[in-house]
Amino acid sequence: MWQLILHRMVATIPVLFLVSAGVFMLIHLTPGDPIDAMMAESVDAGVKETLRRDLGLDRPLALQYAHWMGRILQGDLGQSIRNREPVIENVGRRIRPSLQLAALAMAISLVVAFPIGILSAARRNSPLDGAGSLFSLFGICMPNFLLALLLIFFFGVTLRWLPISGYTDPFEEPLAGLRSLALPAITLGLALAAVIMRTLRSSMLEALAEDYVRTARAKGVSEWRVIGGHVLRNALIPVVTVMGLQLGTLIGGAVITEYVFALPGVGRLVVDAVFARDYPLVQGVVLLIAVGYIVSNLIVDLLYGWIDPRIRIR
Amino acid sequence: MPSNRARSSSRAVSRRAFLRLSALAAGGLAPLTAPGARRAWGQAAPKKGGTLRVGFYVEAATMDPHLSGSKVDRQVYHNIYEPLVTLDNKLGLRPGLAESWQQPDAKTIVFKLRQGVKFHDGTDFNAEAAKFNFNRMKTEPKSVRKGELANVESVDVVDAYTIRLHLRRPDAALLATLTDRAGMMVSPKVIQEKGAELERNARGAGTGPFQFVEWVKDAHLILRRNDAYWNKSGGPYLEQIRYRPIPDDTVKLQSLQTGEIDVMDYVQPRDVAAVKADRNVVVVDVPSLADFAYQLNHTRPPFNVKALRQALAYAVDLEQIVKGVWLNVGVPANGPIPPTSWAYDSSIPFIKRDLAKAKAKLAEGGKPGGFSFTVTTNNIPINIQEAEVIQAQLAEAGIAMKVKLVDSATLLSDGNSKNYEMISYQWSGRPDPDGNTYQFYKTSSGVSLNWSGISNPQIDAILDKTRETPRQADRKKLFSELVRLLQDELPMLFIVHPIEPKAFSPRVQGYDPVPDGMMRFREVWLK
Amino acid sequence: MAGSIRESGFAERTPALPAATAAPRAERRWIVLRRAARARLAPVGAAVVLLAVLAAVLAPLLSPHNPLTQNLGNTLARPDRIHPLGTDNVGRDVLSRVIWGTRISLVAGFASVTMALVAGSLLGLLAGYWGGRADSLVMRLMDAVLSFPPLVLALALGAVLGAGLTGVLIALSVVYTPAFARLMRGQVLSIKSRDYVEAARALGASGWRIAGRHVLPNAAAAIVVQAGLSVAFAILAEASLSFLGLGIQPPAASWGSMINAGRGYLQQAPWIVFGPGAALFVTVVGLNFVGDALRDALDPRARF
Repeated sequence: MWQLILHRMVATIPVLFLVSAGVFMLIHLTPGDPIDAMMAESVDAGVKETLRRDLGLDRPLALQYAHWMGRILQGDLGQSIRNREPVIENVGRRIRPSLQLAALAMAISLVVAFPIGILSAARRNSPLDGAGSLFSLFGICMPNFLLALLLIFFFGVTLRWLPISGYTDPFEEPLAGLRSLALPAITLGLALAAVIMRTLRSSMLEALAEDYVRTARAKGVSEWRVIGGHVLRNALIPVVTVMGLQLGTLIGGAVITEYVFALPGVGRLVVDAVFARDYPLVQGVVLLIAVGYIVSNLIVDLLYGWIDPRIRIR
Repeated sequence: MPSNRARSSSRAVSRRAFLRLSALAAGGLAPLTAPGARRAWGQAAPKKGGTLRVGFYVEAATMDPHLSGSKVDRQVYHNIYEPLVTLDNKLGLRPGLAESWQQPDAKTIVFKLRQGVKFHDGTDFNAEAAKFNFNRMKTEPKSVRKGELANVESVDVVDAYTIRLHLRRPDAALLATLTDRAGMMVSPKVIQEKGAELERNARGAGTGPFQFVEWVKDAHLILRRNDAYWNKSGGPYLEQIRYRPIPDDTVKLQSLQTGEIDVMDYVQPRDVAAVKADRNVVVVDVPSLADFAYQLNHTRPPFNVKALRQALAYAVDLEQIVKGVWLNVGVPANGPIPPTSWAYDSSIPFIKRDLAKAKAKLAEGGKPGGFSFTVTTNNIPINIQEAEVIQAQLAEAGIAMKVKLVDSATLLSDGNSKNYEMISYQWSGRPDPDGNTYQFYKTSSGVSLNWSGISNPQIDAILDKTRETPRQADRKKLFSELVRLLQDELPMLFIVHPIEPKAFSPRVQGYDPVPDGMMRFREVWLK
Repeated sequence: MAGSIRESGFAERTPALPAATAAPRAERRWIVLRRAARARLAPVGAAVVLLAVLAAVLAPLLSPHNPLTQNLGNTLARPDRIHPLGTDNVGRDVLSRVIWGTRISLVAGFASVTMALVAGSLLGLLAGYWGGRADSLVMRLMDAVLSFPPLVLALALGAVLGAGLTGVLIALSVVYTPAFARLMRGQVLSIKSRDYVEAARALGASGWRIAGRHVLPNAAAAIVVQAGLSVAFAILAEASLSFLGLGIQPPAASWGSMINAGRGYLQQAPWIVFGPGAALFVTVVGLNFVGDALRDALDPRARF
């Protein structure tokens, strides 16, 4: 297994290199520059030129790229142009709400998807199965932002059960924190649940079709023991895949949810940085998101091998 | 008005006037509140305590007023820092950290500073501190105030509580500039000890009724009551103020309606009618200093031709825009000077739509069949709506307008490099009409806010004269002349002077709106 | 996941599974039942898609009003006989705009997926056929695209190319390319080692010939399935991007930009959000049915 990990890590170096070149080129191609954006109302050209020179923004692009890469290899992701704090600190501050949101959304999705998925597979083509399919269809086809709007409207404004904006850290104030994350987590979790439910149902049905299931049934083992004992475990593989991949994209991808609910997460951080042309921040965060995605893929592959010894990824 | 007094008498302000002024300043803004507004807030006695939760559309950028370039920062500054000169709710100049001032000659201002004021870190505010601040604003490499203080040549300490400013040229607008960031005093000790950290952490830095506690970016910014505030009459009453950035307008409004926040900095025009009908919310209309317009590029076709610019102006229907897009939360603009300003000339009408004249101007400009161009505008709903309406209006005159939506960084870049034909420009406004005019219409080379590239010697002359003329009545005449010229030359197509409605929970008492749109919470208390 | 630019990604991982989960024998009864259920839905899906395409093509004939005509005296009007879906914030007929918006949404979906299909298949073909360094490079490039946050890509492209539909189309096609590339490459690799291919090459058949006669037909099934599923996601993604201000320029509108523009009026005039919202939802559902039906019919592995 360690060989696998090492091999993977070596293989990802060219990928990260490509990502870094891509994001550098892309963000530097966008019109506008961070100094202009920061000092919109100022007319002082001299001050702006001094700032640009200090930040090295007046040097040729290739040199700037080389300089940035050089610092990365030393472990320095650079500083945000807007608040002059290290990129790592900026991300560190914002990763917490994103991770908490992702975890809560994941939890909600599992709580919703597993019972529905298992029951749908166990009672296939029954009304329950139909309802389950309807639910999964809804979750997959519903635009994320529309769902957020509707949830805010019903639970936040009409019923007033849950807060509709802002973030409180659940580790500091458990109840208030969970409440502040509830609506965004439900928004993300329902969509996730739909995908997981579908996958679980279809993989369970496949597993239920196996011979050993027929044998167990013939031997008189109760349906639930069949499901719980063998089928579920085998059916988990694709589900784990999906969950892992979703988690990888959740961290940097929940931007719209973060915007609508005013959560200070990583998604908003990078989007705001793009709007402000904060080059080091955009470049650094994109790299980190890419690393996160690669790591989550690796974990999923390792879990594969652990769950089903028949699959060993080479 | 202090400026009149300063000119008509070279003596110091008379003792009686001085006492009256001090009483006014000491009493805060309360005596100047219009009686109607006062009654609306109720006559109960202010209570101390409570946390005021304020929702903003965007996050502040920096806590250092000398390095600040964005409008949202100012909202926080006006509660923790104080400028030398303050504004009353009629935009009159009142003593701030400067008790009084006089001008022995046109190029000198002498400020007598208030005594007994301490910064939040305990150090004294005095002439040395003031001089330190001015020097920093002029010499700090990243200072954004250099342009605003360009006319200040040097600052002398006359005695412990008196400073003298030497100006390069007479500048009648300078005092108004000192009511905002350029006049805000920061503790020199904090600057020297904290340096760049001041941008994130302003603890101990100001003299205002509230002091900085902490700032967690994109989450909250907390201020706490300054019990050692120098002005003992009136507030501050609130225990704490908590600012929260809520980027989504609708969510922000809903947060107010559900009681998650107490104050909202801006109500969108589309929400105003509904919010006014909502009994859980109190709306205060604050006529602003802003002017929203489109700059026209004089350096490239089609708007390098004056007649075509005028055709555009005649083809646009400002009344329909203000009624249909802004829902009458604002008035059609006759120029860059808003109705709240003393310089506003209501006798100059805004340009009314006249399709016949538009067509005539088209012919005059050599495009009788119309022409096409692209407008660059910000990617926000109300801008899009306005652009669509203008597009339809122009089509009736045969002018085809294409819309290009961009984000703000691109807008700034295109504007600064004059890479546009017509570009949206929304200026938040300054208390002195100079702030809404000079930097936009004065001939300048290189990068400036004169995005249109207008270079008109008559306009230049008037602009300079408004700075050199000390008497307000005379300046007003000059500004009227300027507006007439601007309506003819059209460096910008003026659209609207918006009203900035602010919304509050009914618990909030004592808010006194000042047209600069800044929310000062000193006299505010919670029921 | 609805709203995220990339779909569940499950399709990309499927190639790794077959060896493990290939069930030797299955209950015929269950398969048939399942297929029957799907078969019921498939025509519904097809009908919806057909309706959407018709609406897009025949928009000038079908829409009751001009979608651009403003009427500032009749804004936010409730649905009635003249305006079946009411009017928006500048008095335009919502139904007409929804019908015309079908064009944009369908173009966004089909054009981006087509571009991704072509680019991805080409890359996959090349990678699989040449193997070695080229294969490595192409696959690393695809990995890089997969790890790049799609929203940032779309935003940056929007800023570089201007906020119009072009930027969105390019961004979406870039994001969906890796899936097709992997599919095609997988096909090429599995076919490359077959005996009849070796024989054909020994006889002098060129690479292109082999690709055309053997690889493509076998890959077609999987690619069509992938394309079908991707179109739905692409349409949803375009709607999400317009939330952040990218995509179609005014006064034209896509369903996503209509939802975004109408967001602030949800309490006063919900129909300007629900009109395009329902159209979006129904179209995506229809496309999903069609995609599922295709998968059932064409992909031997997925039987449920």
